[in-house]
Amino acid sequence: MKRFTKMAYKDPDEMVFGRAKYPTSQRWNTQIGAGYVVPEIKVAPVEGSEESKEQMVSECRNITQSACERAVSIGLPAFMLEQEHIFQQTNNPGWTADCTQAQAEILERYHDEYDIRVSLMATPADIRIEERHPGLRGSDYDNKVMESIEASAANGASCVSIETMGGKSVSDYGIARGDPKAILFGIGVLGSIDMEYMWKRIVDVCKKYDCRPAGDTDCAQANTAMFMAGGLLDKDCSHTLAALTRAIAGARSLVAVECGAIGPLKDCGYENPIIKSISGVPICMEGKNAVCAHSDLMGNLTASVCDVWSNESVYHRQEMGGTTPEVWLQATGYEAALMNTAHQTGQEKTLRDLYTLTDKYRDPQALVLAYDNAHRIGEAIVKYGKNPYLRSRAAALEAGAIINEAVDAKKMYLTRFERDSLDSALKIFEELPTDSEQFIDECLRKYSRKIAEFDPKSYEL
Amino acid sequence: MKYEELEDRMDQNLVHVRYNVEIEGPAIKPEEDDDVISILPTKEPFKSIALAVLYEDRDASLNNVQKALNDGISPIEIINDGLMKGMDAVNVLYTKGFYFLPDLMLAGDGMMEGVKECEKVLGHKSETKGTAVSFVAEGDPHDIGKNLVVMFLRAGGYEAIDMGRDVPTTEVVKAVKEYKPILLTGTALMTTTMTVFPKVVAALQKEGLEVPAIGCGGGAVRKDFVESFPMSVYGVEAYHAPRLADAIVKDHKTWKDIRKEYTNIVGEFVSEYS
Repeated sequence: MKRFTKMAYKDPDEMVFGRAKYPTSQRWNTQIGAGYVVPEIKVAPVEGSEESKEQMVSECRNITQSACERAVSIGLPAFMLEQEHIFQQTNNPGWTADCTQAQAEILERYHDEYDIRVSLMATPADIRIEERHPGLRGSDYDNKVMESIEASAANGASCVSIETMGGKSVSDYGIARGDPKAILFGIGVLGSIDMEYMWKRIVDVCKKYDCRPAGDTDCAQANTAMFMAGGLLDKDCSHTLAALTRAIAGARSLVAVECGAIGPLKDCGYENPIIKSISGVPICMEGKNAVCAHSDLMGNLTASVCDVWSNESVYHRQEMGGTTPEVWLQATGYEAALMNTAHQTGQEKTLRDLYTLTDKYRDPQALVLAYDNAHRIGEAIVKYGKNPYLRSRAAALEAGAIINEAVDAKKMYLTRFERDSLDSALKIFEELPTDSEQFIDECLRKYSRKIAEFDPKSYEL
Repeated sequence: MKYEELEDRMDQNLVHVRYNVEIEGPAIKPEEDDDVISILPTKEPFKSIALAVLYEDRDASLNNVQKALNDGISPIEIINDGLMKGMDAVNVLYTKGFYFLPDLMLAGDGMMEGVKECEKVLGHKSETKGTAVSFVAEGDPHDIGKNLVVMFLRAGGYEAIDMGRDVPTTEVVKAVKEYKPILLTGTALMTTTMTVFPKVVAALQKEGLEVPAIGCGGGAVRKDFVESFPMSVYGVEAYHAPRLADAIVKDHKTWKDIRKEYTNIVGEFVSEYS
């Protein structure tokens, strides 16, 4: 497996939305990162649709039909539909096959009739349960995930992605207790090991079909930290620790690309700008048009180097302006139109910078993902590129340095909780061993005892 | 114009305000807060035991408890007058916004370490206010919300049976039969797994079982959905769980009462119930 030891982008100023160093091509004449931004729509099936395969297929068909209708009625030149699978779909690969086929048929029909560029990203759920024998590897659930990946690829998905859960038992423990070492171990080491296990197989499956291996986000871990960190007044997770967690996630989610994923990297990964700076693959991002799913503190900034612009997720239901697939595709579609207009008029770097500056100092989590800083974290990662532990640690230290520099420049202001947790985390990270095996041994001793769900065998440790 | 030049031209306060920094008061030691002073014991060894919990020091908590036990202090007194008082103070600081979730989790770990030591001497589980059972809906692997609920219930003096995630409905029914909980809590992240909750209720009813309330919450769970079937209460925050449990145990409130009086019971404004 190749490891990244060099940056795809030498200068952060080269990075901009809608253009990636290595664009991808998919069926239905769709290119991602090839000079235009593609809007994305993702809709969660309504409750009750999980009761039977027929209901789920019908639900997926309705979502797709609504999105296609709105896309042509407002004149979108391209769009991506993502279907994040619910448990019942992944657990029943036959459902995956039929749902994907139904969606692909509708998309193809619209492509044939209107020449609209369409894309279908299928995202089976990672339903594996670490604490249930035999753990993450070789269980029935593990097999079902892979069967669902194959069913997606074989039945018309343009690309597949996933949000793997490896290391979550340990990182959840760390996030809830403000334990930086557990977060680094859970995401940087365990997450990276598990991704390698999953992604080598996913890439092999995709090679058999006209389906691209897209990417994996750290939704299960870094987004847990971001979700717990919440708004400015929330008090469940320090925002500085959440920022370091995101930087670590950059080192972790890169593994999918190292195994052969080519993008677009999935939207929940706020760490994607870091990975784009390293690898040059196109990325999906979400922000202000994902308010239907959750709040964040960087609604504009996340658009600055995206290639696909997403709504994250919304319940399938009726709004005043139509069904949610219609309404939220319209929202992402118009934002993409603004970005594409900027490209056509040569104003893309200005718009990129305006997007960035609206949020850069709103929160430390935003600060570390500003494209110039994401590039710095990328450089720290590739310096130790061959070692998942050391590069994760380097990413966290660099993110800490970025925050401290902004504080010193009186551009970023921290609360005591944020200040203390940042100082404490950086001290811990600085004092960690530089030998990967020693770190892993220490963590195994400490966390195997403390966390009942953690099973080292799931990582072959 | 270059990025750096644009940045230097900005007045950030017209774009965003870091209200969390703006509203921060002076730093005080946790034991100097007036409400904490009224809770903390003044006599030793209980004061030191409570302070170790307040300072989230697991090792000190264990040492203090072991020393007190060696000195012949009753384990029940150590739990009630030392460990629990420390945890009460932590809860107060969390509610006031001075303490954060990691403080609560670490203080809870310290308290539980001390309780376990006392239970070794007691030779049995210490008395709790009651037993709660917590599960994550079948098909749902997201358990951080459930973990928080369990921690808050334990910190609030309840025995919380943790059934884990992706729990089949039949197992939930078995647990209700076995533990006869005063509160059952179910969490789910997704709309398509929250549909398990009414199935749990139906399965309980089929077996002729009833619990005072089933607290249902989690990412995509909605109040209108939870209130569309009986026995259930929509839980807004994880830290509300012990307050709901207290209302059930002390004031004999049922799920019907809690739905009407949620805001009063949890003691704060809750927009979902306004």
